[in-house]
Amino acid sequence: MKRLPPVAGEWIDRTREISFVFEGKSYRGHPGDSISSALLASGASMLGRSFKYHRPRSVLSMANHDINAMVQWAERPNVRADVTPLTDGMALTAVNTFGGLRADKASILGAFSRFLPVGFYYKSFYSKKLFPLWERMFRRLTGLGKVDFTAPHLCTAKCYGFCDVLVIGSGPSGLAAALAAADQGADVVVVDENARAGGSGGYARGADEVLAATHNDLLQRAESHSLVRIMTSTCAAGYYTDHWIPLVTADVMTKMRARSVIVASGAYEQPAVFRYNDLPGIMLASAAQRLIYRYAVSPMRRAVVLAANADGYRAALDLVAHGIEVAAVVDLRSVIGDGEAETAVIHQGIRIVLNACITEAVPASDGKGVAAAVVVPVTQPNEAIGLGREQIPCDGILMSVGWAPAGNLLYQAGTRMRYEKSLEQFVPDVLPAGVFACGRVNGVHSYAARLLDGQRAGSAAAAHAGFGIAMGVAVPNETECPTHSWPIIAHPKGKNFVDFDEDLQLKDFENAVQEGFDNIELMKRFSTVGMGPSQGKHSNMNALRILARLVGKEPQQVGTTTARPFFHPVPMSLLGGRGFTPERRTPLHSRHDALGAQWMPAGVWQRPEYYQVADKSRSDCIQGEVAAVRNGVGIIDVGTLGKLEVIGPQAAEFLERVYISRYANLKLGMTRYAVMCDETGVVIDDGVVGRLAEDHFYFTTTTSGAATIYRELSRLNTLWQLDCGIVNHTGAFAAVNLAGPRSREVLAGLTDADLSASAFPYLALREASVAGIPARLMRVGFVGEWGYEIHVPANQGAALWDALMQAGGGHGMRPFGVEAQRLLRLEKGHIIISQDTDGLTNPFDVGLDWALKMDKPFFVGQRSLRVIAQQPRKQKLVGFVLEPGYAGTVPLECHLVIHQGEMAGRVTSIAFSAAVGQTIGMAFVAPELAEVGNAISIRLSDGSQVPATVTRTPFFDPDNLKQKEAV
Amino acid sequence: MNVNAPVLLSPVHAALLARNPVWSEAGVTPPAVLGFDGNDAQRAAAVGIADLSHLPRAGAKGPGTADWLAAMGLPVPLQPNSWNQLPDGGLIARLGLTEFLVEGDASITDTLMQTDRAAGVYPVLRQDASFALCGARVNELLLQTCNVDFRTLDAEPSKLILTSMAGVGVTILYTRTFTHPCYRLWCDGTYGLYLWDTLVGIAEELGGGCIGLNALR
Repeated sequence: MKRLPPVAGEWIDRTREISFVFEGKSYRGHPGDSISSALLASGASMLGRSFKYHRPRSVLSMANHDINAMVQWAERPNVRADVTPLTDGMALTAVNTFGGLRADKASILGAFSRFLPVGFYYKSFYSKKLFPLWERMFRRLTGLGKVDFTAPHLCTAKCYGFCDVLVIGSGPSGLAAALAAADQGADVVVVDENARAGGSGGYARGADEVLAATHNDLLQRAESHSLVRIMTSTCAAGYYTDHWIPLVTADVMTKMRARSVIVASGAYEQPAVFRYNDLPGIMLASAAQRLIYRYAVSPMRRAVVLAANADGYRAALDLVAHGIEVAAVVDLRSVIGDGEAETAVIHQGIRIVLNACITEAVPASDGKGVAAAVVVPVTQPNEAIGLGREQIPCDGILMSVGWAPAGNLLYQAGTRMRYEKSLEQFVPDVLPAGVFACGRVNGVHSYAARLLDGQRAGSAAAAHAGFGIAMGVAVPNETECPTHSWPIIAHPKGKNFVDFDEDLQLKDFENAVQEGFDNIELMKRFSTVGMGPSQGKHSNMNALRILARLVGKEPQQVGTTTARPFFHPVPMSLLGGRGFTPERRTPLHSRHDALGAQWMPAGVWQRPEYYQVADKSRSDCIQGEVAAVRNGVGIIDVGTLGKLEVIGPQAAEFLERVYISRYANLKLGMTRYAVMCDETGVVIDDGVVGRLAEDHFYFTTTTSGAATIYRELSRLNTLWQLDCGIVNHTGAFAAVNLAGPRSREVLAGLTDADLSASAFPYLALREASVAGIPARLMRVGFVGEWGYEIHVPANQGAALWDALMQAGGGHGMRPFGVEAQRLLRLEKGHIIISQDTDGLTNPFDVGLDWALKMDKPFFVGQRSLRVIAQQPRKQKLVGFVLEPGYAGTVPLECHLVIHQGEMAGRVTSIAFSAAVGQTIGMAFVAPELAEVGNAISIRLSDGSQVPATVTRTPFFDPDNLKQKEAV
Repeated sequence: MNVNAPVLLSPVHAALLARNPVWSEAGVTPPAVLGFDGNDAQRAAAVGIADLSHLPRAGAKGPGTADWLAAMGLPVPLQPNSWNQLPDGGLIARLGLTEFLVEGDASITDTLMQTDRAAGVYPVLRQDASFALCGARVNELLLQTCNVDFRTLDAEPSKLILTSMAGVGVTILYTRTFTHPCYRLWCDGTYGLYLWDTLVGIAEELGGGCIGLNALR
């Protein structure tokens, strides 16, 4: 092959040359070349090896489906050479070779093909004994390209897009559709996987200059229309509900939402099946036309064209127009049409052999090209008859025997397709609302008819999107069948390939059916037809025809396999794209950072786990924070708690219904512990409810429950229609807990509020000013110390923190993190919802019976709890201690409690308490083990067991003296 | 003022501080960022993001709120998910059937927050992170973070959209209040830093970034 003289409309830039390396050899090409076109123009004929037999292969389609011409480009495997633009400095190797492309050692496998029948892959695994052997061998032999685990992470954007009408395909019908829709006022996006718009209008010319000019005009009108956006090098990779189409480019995936979608995706030209139809030099007619008109590459010097439609004749004319000899047009049909192309071929004196087929290609002497085509007459349908055999010398064969609709997206959209016998093609029968089809995919093949079909679809799609009225456009029927019903020639020696991805031959299908795999889905999985990288775009239709004939059915009865997204491989980097992981940070985040906070996720929040002190271990830091709270004063950010308000005349009634305790009798200025259950009686949240006014409550939820509880309460209030409203102030308030025996001293210096025990008793709620900031203060004791929860508007949170830290400095105040708080509350035996409870825990299990007010008229979960109360307990949460001085491995949360060799519970919380002087914890145990003083055994991960003793809680300050004035 | 320790802080104060901003003079309201460096205008032309969290705002919800606000002389939007400009600047937004956001002069917002609530009126403390997004490529930024077609706001200028952006619930409207037409955005303040960092990161990829008020007005 060689570069042709300049061709009108060619994509290459001849003014520049770029160099690249393929299989260790240097080549040159032009910007605008694809890898394949540059290689062919440079004289390379073999571009790859086949998957199974490692046969030499080259161009088949030049349409993004040449899976036997895939290359490795640095860390990128399986780059499709037929369409990937050539860039300067590319270093490429063919995939799937052992020892390089020319001397691929695995090509020996072809000689053993008779031992590799269809389904051998599955059959080889029958033997359990040989399984490992086969597995190793298959893993070594199979797979295309190499994954480079050191490849850099590519951060790609993900993007949304919107349009009124999305047109998929920029061929003649797509462009006509786009113009019709835009002329009605719709905002139109046209996508095309090729580097330039125009589709087949740019290359399927039949050397017809008028047609070329007409098409150029169409393209220019579309490109210049103010309402038409054309996106090239963009693949519509799938169809999702409500016209959501992922549009994939090399760099970004755009999720396009369209009001209407027009599928003008064209059709895949289909290969003929004959012996050695895979040799380099044998290609689809459209591939040759692409090479000529896009890349100005001569596909061969002397061609034989195997035709069954007018497209083959047009291809022959294109070859001749560019100086390529056409030795013969071999037509499978006995009669040809009287169209312009056929007439022109006759007038040019090109030999036409009717009612004939190519039964085999004669390989060149090196086996890596074509030397001749063996042409024989055929009976109908296409049984070669031995008489009249003729060998026509050539170095290339074009196949133009028919088309299969590129209907993948239509199938995904839910289109019902039917097999149209007059076209020998599946066409849309019933389209979903808002989805339209035109052009070849719609069974319309002639250029003029495609324009009309595009206008019809474009107008209708615009009307569906709310622009104009659908105009009636009459689309003429095809005058000839564009596709042959049986372009398949049997050969006793085989190697007549149906699927070039998987090296499947005609006999493989016959054998599969013989073995019982006689429907299309079974056939696919057993033979692997259509399961290669091209996903059957050039094999499924022929496979379907073969199966139909073998089982005596029509194609419509055989049906097609399921088309699933994605239609085309999408790089993982695009699928991953930019990730969004929302994080909530309290208004004190920067303060914690400055103090050396070690962060931990708490649901969607980031919270300080502990504060790093120089030269201290994590454990020492945590124990230090605990000691500060127990002996002096500490401060923790509790701004992550859910902070809700319920306001209105029936606010108390609302709380009565959602919490298990009683709140109607809660005094103004007081708080009460609150536990929430779901309707099955399972504990789902807890917090503190405070009463600010007769009709106004301020209450907290757990950190993880903040958003979900608000949603649930909103739902309930919508159902109940009580005269009250819920306000979510979680993010609007900053909150800290100032705790420890010296907390009152610290706070006293910042507020005029009376902090005496009588004026501000335990569980009281006050509104006061702290450091000049309006605040809500609650005297609560989650960590078992005298303490205040202080809530202020979020934008003043940092100021509050700064003031408290300054005031606490003289008292040795330390910030403490989540881990210290966990230990402090454990010492008090206070549970954490979802740590010391799970999705089955009811209030009885965790000793919250005291909070249950079963005599209330109603609360969520009450009915279930009445039933549960009558049933024997299955588990009980107890405190336990390890032996004093225990120095072995400390159990972890979720380690099992073992009793008499059986699972009898699990640890929910455990830590060493300096205040207690022992390792303490809580665990669910069987009720019979729950008695204080019982010995239990906890199994470690290594299987050894640690003895423990059930203990009363609280572990520390059981009489709560530290929260009373006397202390 | 001591810019290192202002009393009232934006939810994204730490992110602003890290870029050495030029602060406005101290006043009753929190300080605002006037600018960052000499390139604010360039960034604003591409994609500019300004922090407007300092603007005073107030909220209320409940069945009596619309009448309550109207009685206070505010131009209450009649339709859910719409907004009106206040006469002295600022805006009143209807975030649903019965929820409202008022942003503007402190005299208005303070009055709203301090007036005794009426029946069916539940005050909402608004501590939002609030940004303005402007620039020629702002739509690209929006398309990378949100699946709403914001072009529809051009045609319906009184409309606002409550949606999810980069995983965060936001309220968005389009305004020509400033010299540069821009999108205004509000989100829960605790998501502010995350959303600011996310938007600024993408804006920088698009040739823009954070800007101060001077580049906006």
